[in-house]
Amino acid sequence: MKEALSLVQRLSAHPDSRCWFVSWNPTGTLFASCGGDKAIRIWGREGDSWICKSVLHQHQRTVRKVAWSPCGNYLASASFDATTCIWKKKNDDFESLTVLEGHENEVKCVAWAPSGNLLATCSRDKSVWVWEVDEEDEYECVTVVNSHTQDVKHVVWHPTQELLASASYDNNICIYKDEDDDWECRATLQGHTSTVWSLSFDGTGQRLASCSDDRTVKIWKEYPNESGEGDLLWKCVCTLSGYHGRTVYDVAWCPLTGALATACGDDAVRVFKEDESANPDQLVFSLAAQVTKAHSQDVNCVAWNPQEPGLLASCSDNGEIALWRIQEDST
Amino acid sequence: MSGGTRLENANPVIFQRSGERLLTASEEDEDVHDPIDDREIFDLIRSINDPEHPLSLEELNVVEQVRVKVNDAESTVSVEFTPTIPHCSMATLIGLSIKVKLLRSLPDRFKIDVCITPGTHTSEVAVNKQLADKERVAAALENSSLLEVVNQCLSTRSI
Amino acid sequence: MAADSVVLLSLVEEFVSGLQDSKAKDTATGIKDGQFTILQLVEALGLSLTSSQPQTRARGVQLLSEVLQYCYEDLTEREVEVLICFYENRLKDHYVVIPPLLQGLRALTKCTVLPPGSAVSMLRSLFQDIHVQSLMLAERSCVYNMLINLMETREAELKGLGADFVFGFIQSMDGERDPRNLLLAFQIANNIIRRGYNLGTFTEELFEVTSCYFPIDFTPPPNDPHGITKEELIEALRAILTGTPKFAEFLLPLIIEKLDSDIQSSKLDSLQTLTACVSQYEHKDLAEFLEGLWASLRREVFQTSSERIESAGLAALTALTSCLSRSVLNSDSEDSLGIFLDLVLKDCKHHLCEPDLKLVWPSAKLLQAACSASSRASPILTAAVMPLLTEQYNNTTQCSHRRTLLEVIQRFIQSVKTSQSAENEENVFLPFRQSLCSLVFSALSETNSSLQITATSVLTLLAQQTGLLLDSDVELAVDHLIRLLLTEEDEKVSLAVVECAGTLAELHPAAFITKLIPRLKKEMFSGPIEQDSNREAPELQSRHAVPQWCLSALAAVSTQPSVVQESTSVLLELLSAAHTGAVSLSVEEVVMACRSLQRIAEQIQDTEETGRCFHDIIIPRLLSLALQAALQGEGSSGRRSPLVEEAVLSAMVSVISTSCSRLQPILAAQTASRTVSLFLDGDVSFLPDNSFPSHIQLLKKPQGDSWSQSQMVCLLMGCVCSLPRSVAVPHVDQLLSQLEDMSCTCSHPLSYTSAAKCFAGLVNKRPQGDSLDSLIQRMMKRVCSELDSASSPVRTQAFTLMIWVAKALLLRYHPLSTELTDKLFSLLDDTNLGPMAAEGISLLMSDSVDVLNRGCHADVRILYRQRFFSENSAKLVQGFSAASQEKKPNYLKALSNIVNKLPKQVQVTELPALLMLLLEALSCPDQGVQLSTLSCLEPVLMDPPPALIQQLEALVSRLLALICSPAMNVRTASLRCIHALSRFPIHEILPFRARVLQAVACALDDKKRLVRREAVQARGEWFLVGSPGGR
Repeated sequence: MKEALSLVQRLSAHPDSRCWFVSWNPTGTLFASCGGDKAIRIWGREGDSWICKSVLHQHQRTVRKVAWSPCGNYLASASFDATTCIWKKKNDDFESLTVLEGHENEVKCVAWAPSGNLLATCSRDKSVWVWEVDEEDEYECVTVVNSHTQDVKHVVWHPTQELLASASYDNNICIYKDEDDDWECRATLQGHTSTVWSLSFDGTGQRLASCSDDRTVKIWKEYPNESGEGDLLWKCVCTLSGYHGRTVYDVAWCPLTGALATACGDDAVRVFKEDESANPDQLVFSLAAQVTKAHSQDVNCVAWNPQEPGLLASCSDNGEIALWRIQEDST
Repeated sequence: MSGGTRLENANPVIFQRSGERLLTASEEDEDVHDPIDDREIFDLIRSINDPEHPLSLEELNVVEQVRVKVNDAESTVSVEFTPTIPHCSMATLIGLSIKVKLLRSLPDRFKIDVCITPGTHTSEVAVNKQLADKERVAAALENSSLLEVVNQCLSTRSI
Repeated sequence: MAADSVVLLSLVEEFVSGLQDSKAKDTATGIKDGQFTILQLVEALGLSLTSSQPQTRARGVQLLSEVLQYCYEDLTEREVEVLICFYENRLKDHYVVIPPLLQGLRALTKCTVLPPGSAVSMLRSLFQDIHVQSLMLAERSCVYNMLINLMETREAELKGLGADFVFGFIQSMDGERDPRNLLLAFQIANNIIRRGYNLGTFTEELFEVTSCYFPIDFTPPPNDPHGITKEELIEALRAILTGTPKFAEFLLPLIIEKLDSDIQSSKLDSLQTLTACVSQYEHKDLAEFLEGLWASLRREVFQTSSERIESAGLAALTALTSCLSRSVLNSDSEDSLGIFLDLVLKDCKHHLCEPDLKLVWPSAKLLQAACSASSRASPILTAAVMPLLTEQYNNTTQCSHRRTLLEVIQRFIQSVKTSQSAENEENVFLPFRQSLCSLVFSALSETNSSLQITATSVLTLLAQQTGLLLDSDVELAVDHLIRLLLTEEDEKVSLAVVECAGTLAELHPAAFITKLIPRLKKEMFSGPIEQDSNREAPELQSRHAVPQWCLSALAAVSTQPSVVQESTSVLLELLSAAHTGAVSLSVEEVVMACRSLQRIAEQIQDTEETGRCFHDIIIPRLLSLALQAALQGEGSSGRRSPLVEEAVLSAMVSVISTSCSRLQPILAAQTASRTVSLFLDGDVSFLPDNSFPSHIQLLKKPQGDSWSQSQMVCLLMGCVCSLPRSVAVPHVDQLLSQLEDMSCTCSHPLSYTSAAKCFAGLVNKRPQGDSLDSLIQRMMKRVCSELDSASSPVRTQAFTLMIWVAKALLLRYHPLSTELTDKLFSLLDDTNLGPMAAEGISLLMSDSVDVLNRGCHADVRILYRQRFFSENSAKLVQGFSAASQEKKPNYLKALSNIVNKLPKQVQVTELPALLMLLLEALSCPDQGVQLSTLSCLEPVLMDPPPALIQQLEALVSRLLALICSPAMNVRTASLRCIHALSRFPIHEILPFRARVLQAVACALDDKKRLVRREAVQARGEWFLVGSPGGR
C-alpha cells in the first residue's frame, strides 16, 4: 500500500444510536449527519476541530440520508417516517421549509440534481420520485418511476447531466433520463448478486461505482449504443472482490483525486486507486489504504470533502463519525 | 392467538427442553475468563416464545444448539433456525426475534447472522435476505405493532 | 312560637331567595332541637312551592330535601305520610324540580317509620313519572339508592308489586353508562335474583339489560377518585348472570359467543363466568349447549398461549362435568354425563397416541380436568384412557414418548386422587393394577433418568392409592429401589428414589425392614475398595457415592418406629466402626451418618418408644464414642478417629439437640442430668462400653493439646441448651461458672466458642431476677477488663463470650442487653476488633443453627430484630458520622448487617431514614459492605417505597458504577438490583432507560459468564420498559 489513512478526529455524533450518513456541503465547510436518533446534526470547523453547530429535529423516525443542494443553501433529509424534509439555511441555522409527502413508507435516499432544480427520492415502496423546484421554493412531483421490483436503496445524479441512477434490493441498478418531462428507465445494470446499497459517479460522470451486499464493488462505464432506440449502454468494467469481509454499504469517488473509498460492515474503511495505465475497458484498481478497525461497528458511509483533497468522513453503527486524511505512507 | 383464526400448524411436534447449564468451578473463579460459547448463545435464544404456541423455540426444535456457531475471538455469531413447517408465515418474525434478542444480549462487537436452516423453508432466500438487511430490520423495529410482537416473544411469559 | 315562625320564615327566605346554602343546616338544627316541626317548614315553604318560577320551586324543594337528609330519623309516621304524598304529587313538576325531589324521596326511604304501602306508592309514582336515564348521574344514583334502601327494609311490600317492580327497575337502568351507578344497579339486580323477587315474564329482559355489559371492558381513568376497579364490576355482574338457572338458556349461548372474542380478558371472564354458573345449574339447563360449550372449551385449551386461559378453561370443564355428574343421580332418561364424556373422549383420546405432538398435553389436561370432577366421571374416563396409555407405552421404544406417556399417566392418577372419596368405593385403578405396576417397574429399569424419576413419582402415587398395591408389588418395588440406590449414578434419580422409598416405607414398613435395611447395611460394611490399585479412578468415586444414598435412604425410610429401631442401630454400628477404623469412612461420610440420625429424630412421631430409643441408646452411645475418641486423642496408633473432627462433633450436636428438644421431656431431663454429671463430675456410668478412666475433667482448662477433650463441651451445649424451659438443668450455677472460665481462658476456638454458646444458651433460659443480673454483671466485668486491655491475649475469647451473651439477652428483651450491645458498638471503633464487631452484628441478627433458636426452646421475642434496630440505628448513624474515614466501613457493614435481616415491611418503613447511609454504603470502597448493601436493597426494590423512588438518580448512578467493580459477586448483585429497578413505575424509570441500557451493555462483554447472564436479563427487561408489548 502506498498511502495511509490517518485519523483527524473522532466525534460522538448520535449517542445511543447509529449514524447512518454524512454529507459535505459544496464548499466543504460544513457537513451534515443523520441517524437512528431521528436527528440531523450540522458540523463545522472551529479552530482545528469539528464541532456540532446545530441539531435539527423534525422527523418522527430514523433519518436515513441527508443531501445538500448545489448552492449549499438547502438541505434535504429522507426519513423512515415516509417523508422528505427540505431545510433552508438562515444565517447559521436551518429552518424547515417544507415536508414532501407521497411515499408509502420509508424514504431511503434523497439527491439534488446538479442544476438544483430537480430532486430525486426513493423508498421501500419500490418507486423513485422526481420533484421539480420552482423559484418560490415550491416542490412538485413530476414523475413516479417503478422500474425496480424491490426497495430502492439509493439514488444519485450524474455530476453534469440530467441523468439519474438508482440502486435496489432487487440487485439491479437503473439509469433514468428525462423524456418530455417524463423520466424513464433507459438502462438496467445487472451483475450484483445481492442488494446494491450505494452508487457514486466519478468526477466526469463517465463511470459509476456500485457497492453491494455481495461484498463487491463494481465499476460501470457508459458506451455508445449502436442499436439506437434511445437506450443507454453501461457495462461493468471492473469488479473489486476479495477485499471486503461483509456487506459494502457505501462507495464514494473523490472528484478531486479520483480515489475510491468504501464503507463496509466489517468495520473497515478502504481507499482504492486506479491504475491509470490499464485498458480503459478493463480497469484495474488497487487497495491504496485501509483501516481495518476504523470503527468498532459497521461503517455505513464514506464521504470525500469536495474542496480539500484527501479529507474523508466516515460514520458507523456505534453513532460515531470519524474524519480521516489520506497521506503518502512514510514507511 | 384469537379464537377465530386457526393456527397454521395446530399440533406441532414437541421436543424436550435441555436442562440448565451446570455451574462449573471455573465460572465462579474471579480470575478465569469464560469465553462466550455456543451453549451460552443457545441459552439466550432457546427460551424465546413462539409467536403462536405457548412453547419456546427450543421446545418446537426451531433452534438447536448444534445450529449455533460463535467465534468469540473473531466476534461472529451465526444461528440457523428451522421453521416447524416449510411454508410457515411466521419465519421472518421468528428470525427477527432471534436477531433482536442477540442484538440486545451480545456485546456490540459481534457480527450476527441469523438465517433459515438450508432446505427447510419455501421462502428461505427471501427471508434470509430480509433478516440480513439491517436497514429493513431497523425500520421494522420502528414499527410499533411489529415491535410489540417481537417484545412479546422476548418477554418472560406472564399471562 | 311566633318568634320561631319568624325565624323559620327568614331561614326559608334566605335559602330560597338569598341562595345561602348554609341555611339548610340551620333549619335542620332548628327541627332537631324542636324549635319547629317539619310540617311547619312545609307550610313556611308554601309561597316558594307555589311560585310560578320553576327555579324558585326547585329551591324550595331543595331546602326541604336537604333538611330531610339531616333529620329523617326524627320524623313521625304521620309526617312521613304527608311528606311522601307531597313528593309523589310533585314528581310531574318541571324538570328542574326533579333533582331535589329525588333527594328528598331518597331521604324518606331511609325512614324506619315508613307507613305500610308507601314504598309501593312511591315506586309506582317514580316508575310512572320519571324516565331515569334522562336524569343526570347524581339523580340516577339517587333512584338506585332509593331502590336499595327499600329492598333492605320493605322487601315484602316490594315483592307485592310483582313483576312490575322488576319491570320498573329494568326500565330505570336500561342504558346506564356510569360505572358507579352500574355497581348500584348491579346490586339491585343481584338482590332481585338472590332474594326471590318474581321475575314474571321479564326474565329475558332482566338478563338483557344486565348482560349487555358482559364481558366488562372498563379501564378506570388515571387518578380515578372513585377507585372503582374492573374487577369489582366483573364480580358484581358475574353474581347476577350466574345467580339463577333461569338465565341458563340466555347466558350459555352468550358465553359461547364471547369465548370466540379476540380479547384475552373477555375469554377469561367468560370462562370464569361459566365455571361460576354451572355450579348453580342442573344437567337439563345445560343439555342443549353441551356440544357448543365443549367445542369452545376444547378450542381455547388447544390453542391458547396463555396459562391463565388454559387453567380457567380446565376449571370450567371440571365444573361442567361435576354439574352433569350431580344431575345423573336423580336419573332422568338421558345420561348426559355419558354423552358429554363421549364428546370429550372423541376429541382428545386420539391425541394421546401422538406423544411427541403438542396437543398431547392439552388433551391430557382436558381429560384429567374432567376426570377429577367426580367419582362418576373418573371410572368412565380411566377405563377409556388407561388401557390406551399402557398399550401405547408398551408399543413405543422411544424414551421421550415413553416419558410423556408416563407423565400423562402420573397426572391421571393425581387427578383421581383429588376426587376419590375413598371408603367403600373400589379403587378406580384396580383393574389396571397389574399393567401399571409392570409399566412402572419397566420404566425404573430404563437408563433414561427422567423416565426413572417419573416412574418413582408414579410408584409413589400408586402406593398412596388405598388398597391398590399387593404385598408382592411392594416387595418387587423395594427390590427396584434397592437396585437403583446401589447402582444409580445420576443424583437426581437417587434423590427421587430416596423420596419414593420414604413414602413407601411409611405405608408398607415390613418390606423395608426385611429387605432394604439389611441390604444397605451389607453394602456399607462391605468396606472400602483397597483391592487392586490399578482400578480406575471414576469407579472409585462412584463407590464413594454409594454410602451417601444409602445413608439418605436409611433416614428417609425411618418414620415408623419398627423401621427406626433397625435403621438407627445400623447407623450407630457404622459410627462405631468408623471410630475403631473397622470401616474406613471419610469425615464427610461420618457427618452424613450423623445427619441421617438427626433427620430421623426430626421426622419421627414423639412416642415413648422412639424417645427411649434416642435417650437410652443413641445419645449415650454417641457420647461414649465421642469420649473414646477424645481420650484416644492422637493416640498411640497415630491414627486420629474421625470423631474428634469439628464437623463430626457439630453433626452430633444436632442429633443430641434435636432429640433433647423434641422427644419426651422426662427422658430428656434424664439425659441432661446424666450429661451434666459427666461433664462436672466425670460420671461415666451411663455410657455403654464403659472402660473409661475414673477422673475425667472435661470442663477444666486443657493442658497442652488436650483440646480434643475440651471441645466436647459442644456436646454438653447440644444437650442442656435445647431442653424445654420447663426442664431444670441440675447444678446450673456451677456449670455456668465453669463455662465462663473455660470461655475466657481456653485458646482452642471450638472449645471457647462452644463454652460461650453454652453459657449463653443457659443464660437465655434463666429466670429473671437478681441472681441472673449479678451473674451477667460478674461476667461483663471480666469481659470488659479483658477487652479494655489492648495487650490481653484473650481479647477474642472475651469478645466471643460477650457477643453470645448479648444475643442471649437481646432475644429475651433483657434490660441488661443494652449494656452489652453498647459495648459492642464502641468496639466498632477498635482498630483490631472493629471488623469483628461489625460481623458480630450479623450474628446477633441471624438465627443460629445449634443454639438460641426457637427449635431449642430459647426465649426469643418475635420482634427482637426490629426492637434492636429501632433502639440502635440512631447510634449507628451518629457513630458513622463521628468515625474516622478508615473506621466508617465498620459502621456501614454493621448497618447493612442489621438492615439485611429486618423483615421487609420494616425495611420499607425504615428505609427513608437510612437511605442516605445505604447509598453511602454503595459507594463505600469495601466490597463486603457493597455486597451486603446490595443484597439488602434487592428485595426492597421488588416493591419500592416512595422514599426510594425519590432517590432514583442517586441509586441508579451508584448501581451503574458498581457494574464495573473488580469483584464478580458485586457486579452480579448490582445487575440484579438494576434488573429489579425495571419493575419500578414506568414514568419514574423511563428517563433512565437510555443510560441504563448503555451502562449495562459493557457488562454484556464481562469476562465472567455469570455476570453476563445477569446483564442479559437486566438489559432485556430494560429494553421492554416503555416499549410496545413490553411494559
